Amino acid sequence: MSIDFKKYLPLTEATAYILLALSEPLHGYGVMQKVEAMSNGEVKIGPGTLYGAFSTLESDGIIEKAGEEGRRKIYTLTDKGKLLLKEHVRRAEIFVKNGEITRGW
Amino acid sequence: MTTTKEFHWFWAWDDEKEEAYLREMALDGWHFKSVTFPGNYTFEKGELRNDFYRLDILSNYKDKDNYLQLFEDAGWSHVGEYGSWQYFRKTAPQGETPEIFTDNESKQKKYSRILGFLIIFFPIYSIMLNDLHKAEGRFYEIATFVFFLFMLLYAYAMLMLIRRISQLKKKL
Repeated sequence: MSIDFKKYLPLTEATAYILLALSEPLHGYGVMQKVEAMSNGEVKIGPGTLYGAFSTLESDGIIEKAGEEGRRKIYTLTDKGKLLLKEHVRRAEIFVKNGEITRGW
Repeated sequence: MTTTKEFHWFWAWDDEKEEAYLREMALDGWHFKSVTFPGNYTFEKGELRNDFYRLDILSNYKDKDNYLQLFEDAGWSHVGEYGSWQYFRKTAPQGETPEIFTDNESKQKKYSRILGFLIIFFPIYSIMLNDLHKAEGRFYEIATFVFFLFMLLYAYAMLMLIRRISQLKKKL
């Protein structure tokens, strides 16, 4: 599968965390909680923002519905979504490596 | 239960003013109960509360249950509806300002959704105006004029929404 990464990259911090959270099937609120926990409280996503992000990511085929829990829709990454996140992490690693120089500051 | 009614007109691009207005009322102990066209607000008397109100536009009604559940899970009570506008309320601890939109991009998209509704109907209204204009007789002259004023307002609304969106873009 080839993806036009340029269309999506760089991911915003919030989007990157949403994708990371969806490495396992989760509903919206589950994503909000997991993102806040993973980022040590640095990234908080409001329900309006998350709902909009889900809609866009779903129509772009990056995430897909994986089930329902009561009234809540559960989402997970598609293969395309996995590739995108992988590419984002690859680039972030390069950045972090270069960023080593700031350690002694 | 003591209630009071107030009339207020808010433009769609001034929804932050409406949110602030509802909060002011809540701080005085008047809690939003409902709103009907064109701006009749009903409030219920209660305790003074540190409430925040936030407004969103729902465009996919088929997904309303899932949408409202997400807001509820995040601690926002759905307190009213006005057309596509959804009214949410959250009581916050002192010093905290809860938000439903946590970035500029999603805020812009809210206004884009309203603009989308307006753009869809614009050609239809334009054809109607054109037909009215072609018809003869005193009644149609007046109708054309009234409709023309409506179209001016409509165009103004589209311009103001575009302005609001570009303001938010600059803040990025």
